[in-house]
Amino acid sequence: MMTRTHFAAALLAASALIGAAPALAQSSAEKLEDLDKRITRLEDLNAIERLQRAYGYFVDKSQWVPLSELFTDDATLEIGGKGLFLGKKRVLEYMQKAFGMDGTKAGSLANHMQFQTVPDISADGKSGWIRSRAFVMSNGGWGLPLYENEYRKENGVWKISRLTGPFTMYTGWEGWGKWAMNNTWPDKFDPPPDLPPSTVYLTYPAYYIIPYHYPNPVTGKAFPILKSDIGAHAGVPGSKVQEEWAKTGRVVDGTQPIGEPPKE
Amino acid sequence: MSTRIFIKAALLLGLAMPLAAPALAQGGGDVRTKLAAYKHRVTLLEDQDAVENLQATFGYYFDKGLWNQAAALFASKGSFEYGQRGVYVGSARIQQAMLLFGPQGLANGRLNNHMMLQPIITVAPNGQTAVGRFQGMVMLAEPGQNGKWGVGLYENEYVKEGGTWKIAKLHFYMTALTDYDLGFAKYAIQMEGPSALFPPDRPPTEVYRSFPNAYLPAFSYDHPVTGQPLKTLPLQGDEIVGRPDRGMDTGKREESSAAKGMRQQ
Repeated sequence: MMTRTHFAAALLAASALIGAAPALAQSSAEKLEDLDKRITRLEDLNAIERLQRAYGYFVDKSQWVPLSELFTDDATLEIGGKGLFLGKKRVLEYMQKAFGMDGTKAGSLANHMQFQTVPDISADGKSGWIRSRAFVMSNGGWGLPLYENEYRKENGVWKISRLTGPFTMYTGWEGWGKWAMNNTWPDKFDPPPDLPPSTVYLTYPAYYIIPYHYPNPVTGKAFPILKSDIGAHAGVPGSKVQEEWAKTGRVVDGTQPIGEPPKE
Repeated sequence: MSTRIFIKAALLLGLAMPLAAPALAQGGGDVRTKLAAYKHRVTLLEDQDAVENLQATFGYYFDKGLWNQAAALFASKGSFEYGQRGVYVGSARIQQAMLLFGPQGLANGRLNNHMMLQPIITVAPNGQTAVGRFQGMVMLAEPGQNGKWGVGLYENEYVKEGGTWKIAKLHFYMTALTDYDLGFAKYAIQMEGPSALFPPDRPPTEVYRSFPNAYLPAFSYDHPVTGQPLKTLPLQGDEIVGRPDRGMDTGKREESSAAKGMRQQ
């Protein structure tokens, strides 16, 4: 998979250097440094993926104290349309107040299966980003959160510095063909957030695209999410209902900046 | 590290030739130490990758009833344990255990999907063993029955034998299983116990009941930030099983605010 491809590429690059003209050749110290950087990058990509997966396992089982310990002291957390919680302590408070005290409980099923990670590490190796998703299977029904998270390496340890989890779709057991929740909002349940939502949007059957932290991997170009790219279809396309609804309840250019795509 | 391994590592990294002369002058020991450390780090990444693919492959075989291929992924004394069915040891017994899920190659009307998601794999520093936690989403069907949704956790062990990673212990903790239409709010299916047809070699290693009862398999990895072990996190007890509460808040349990909020819409 990814690890293997990158390592193979690193080996090829290292082998190719042997044949290079002496004037152009890197010194052995430089080669070693280069290899160290490349291996470290793979380890870092791996570390932030593990972090995101560990987050998911704690959510599943209502383990809020260890969950909050995955965050930096100054981390922010924003899930659905609930608004922003500032700092590790507030992350813990949010989880415990909104979802009950710590511990795996009878009658509760809230599996947030984490997958499809696209991780990146900054050129200086101090920040990381992941776009990923969770598929929620709970006793209440089904849910689809996305994540565009940021990670920071503090004293050699990776932590979550920003969790941004916009919802795509939440529905009951009967499914999204029958019913869907349009989103959460700040006063929907306790506790209230520290700041209002960075972006106001509606979930399925409306739709919203959180900007990508990374450029298109083939064109190499980052792209903005334009207003024309997101919208809603509350009614038949072209109908008055559809036209009205498309204008309400969403702002694309949210105030919370998203991580810069890594530049190498 | 033996000289032979060192040379192999140096060749692998494409560094042996240019290093030969200057290395002596500027302290070859430092370079050797670095190379050895880098090789170790790369090997651990490769091992993790191999274990992830091994478990994914197990899933692809198991889904399709390829019991012979799935059983061949185990080490000679490898074990297989699914829910409360007990422990089966060795390839022949593991194949028997798998027959309880349907015939070899499955059959019409059967669905046996076991997705292997969310891996957290820890390779031992010596690179010879590994442990892994996986999220296991399950979709089942068999003739004459309604479909089933399920979910659970894998906590597995792996061993490298003759340079090849194999499954030393596969343990799937089913934590919730329900009817396709009814869902967890209305219905829960309990796990099957040990089979009378093909009795296991050993009873279940941990006795527990699935949803609506609570269970939390111990984590094989330590907390990624604090480094603390995650073996005894809070877990509600089960009076029937005879397991007391562990580390739970003793206050009255109330419906969470989010649950209330969600019900209001």
